[in-house]
Amino acid sequence: MAEEIIQRPALPKKPFNPTSVWLSGWLALIWLIIVDLELSFETLLYGVQDILEYFSRYSRPNFDDLSRYVELLGQTLATALWGSTLAIVVAVLLAPFAARNLSPNAVTYRIARELLNFMRAMPDLLLALIFVAALGLGPLPGALALGVHTAGFLGKFFAESLERVDNGIYEAVTASGASRVQLVMYAGWPSIQREALGYMLYIFDRNVRMAAVLGLVGAGGIGLALHDTLRMFNYDQSAALIVVILVTILTIDYLSTWLRGKLN
Amino acid sequence: MAKIIIKDIVKRYANGFEALKGVSAEIAAGSFTVILGPSGAGKSTLLRTINGLETQTAGTIQIGEHIVTPHNLRQVRSQVGMVFQHFNLVDRLSVMTNVLTGRLSHRSWLGSLLYLFRRTDLDLAHDALIRVGLTDKAWNRADKLSGGQQQRVGIARALAQQPRVILADEPVASLDPVASEEIMGLLREICTRDGITVVVNLHQVELARRFADRIIGLNEGLVVYDGPTGGLDRITLGKIYSRNGDLVDEQLETMLAYA
Repeated sequence: MAEEIIQRPALPKKPFNPTSVWLSGWLALIWLIIVDLELSFETLLYGVQDILEYFSRYSRPNFDDLSRYVELLGQTLATALWGSTLAIVVAVLLAPFAARNLSPNAVTYRIARELLNFMRAMPDLLLALIFVAALGLGPLPGALALGVHTAGFLGKFFAESLERVDNGIYEAVTASGASRVQLVMYAGWPSIQREALGYMLYIFDRNVRMAAVLGLVGAGGIGLALHDTLRMFNYDQSAALIVVILVTILTIDYLSTWLRGKLN
Repeated sequence: MAKIIIKDIVKRYANGFEALKGVSAEIAAGSFTVILGPSGAGKSTLLRTINGLETQTAGTIQIGEHIVTPHNLRQVRSQVGMVFQHFNLVDRLSVMTNVLTGRLSHRSWLGSLLYLFRRTDLDLAHDALIRVGLTDKAWNRADKLSGGQQQRVGIARALAQQPRVILADEPVASLDPVASEEIMGLLREICTRDGITVVVNLHQVELARRFADRIIGLNEGLVVYDGPTGGLDRITLGKIYSRNGDLVDEQLETMLAYA
C-alpha cells in the first residue's frame, strides 16, 4: 500500500526559549567579576597547605571544661528561644496588616510592610552591638537583636502565606458577616497554621546558630567563650567549643526536620 | 423570609468588561429561585452583588427592608448565608468550628481572638449539623470529608447564621450526580420548611426544572427570561444559552437530551 501523505496544519511559531541567553549572561557576569576582583585560583592552590596547617591546630579538642560549656550553651539556647518568642509575637501582630488582602487600607499595608523590611534590613550583629552598648554585656541584648531582626523575616513569611490563602475562604467567612479581626482569626491563621509552625521552627533553628555567633560581640553565651579562647590561641578549647556548637546545631536541625515532618 | 429587590444593577469591572447591563428582578420571600445562563453571563456577579461581595456600578439591592450599602454590609451579611461551588471551608478547622463561623457576626472581636463561643452558638451549630446529617463528623477536620459532605458543612454554616436568605453559587458544579441530588434536595427542604428565600446559580437545566419555583435566565448581562419553571421551553432555553446572538440549536439538542 502506498504511503499516505499526512497533511498537517502548521503549528504556530514556537515561542523563543530564553534559557541560553540567561545562562550565557550569567557566565559572562561571573567571568567579569573574577577579572575585576582579580580572584586568583593560583593563590588558593598555594594557600591550601597553610589552610590545612591552621585547621590541624584544632585536631585535639579539650573537653575538660565541658560542664561550663554546657551551661554557656544553655544561655545561648535561652537567648535564641527568647529572641524567637519576641519575633513570633511581633510578627503575629504585624503580619495581618502587611498582607495585602487583610490590611484595612493601603497606608497601613505600606507602613507594616516597610516596618518589617526595616527590621529585616538591620543585621542582627549590628543590632546586637547597639543593644550591647545600650544595655551592657549579656544575653538580653542578644535576645533583643535576634527578636527584632527575625521578626522582620517571620512577619514577611506570615504575611505572604496569608496572601496565598484561597480567596474563596476569606470570602466565605466575610460573607457570614465576620469582622476583619474574625477574618484573620478564623480564615487566616488556621489556613496557614502548618506553614507558620514550619517558619517558626526554621527561625528558632536559625536563631540558635546566630545566638552562638552573637556571643562574639559580647551578647553572652557560648560564642563569648569561643571568642575568648580564640583570642588566647587556645585552639584545643576552641575546638571543643566548636564541637559542642556543631552537635547542638545538628541536633536542633534534625529535631526541627522531624517535627516539620510530623506536622505534614 | 425576606424579599430581594434587584433594581437596575450594572456592574462594570476595572478592565471595562460589563458583566451586568441593567438587571432588575424581584424575588419573593420564601421562594426558590434558580438563575440559569451560560458561563460568563453574569450569574455569579449578580449573586455576589446581592450580599455585597461585588459592588455594583449602578443600581440598588434591597433585602427585606434594608437597602444594601457599604455601611450596613456586616449587618446584611449576618442575615444572608452563602454556599459556594468550591465549598470554601477552612480546611484545617474542625467541621464544628467551620459551622460556628456562621455565628461570628454575633460575637465580639475579643471572644474571637480566643476562639470562644457561647452555649447558644454551639447549640445552633449542633442543630445545623443535625439538619445536614453530619453530627458524627463534628470534630473531623473539614478537608477530610468528601465533596458532598463538605458542601453539607457549607450549608450548615449558612444555616447557623439563622439567615433570611441563602445564596448558592453553583453549589453542585463540583459534585457527582448523587451528591448534587442530595444538596439540591437539602436546599429545597430548607426553603420549604424554614421559609428561607433561596437563590441558586445552576448549570443543570434539569435540576432547575425539578427544584425551582422560578427561573431567571441571564445572557450577556441581561435578563432574557423571568418566569415559572414551566415556561422553560426550547425557545426560551435557546434564548438563555444563545451565543453572540445566534441561537445554538445543535448544542441545545445535546443539552436537552441530558435534561
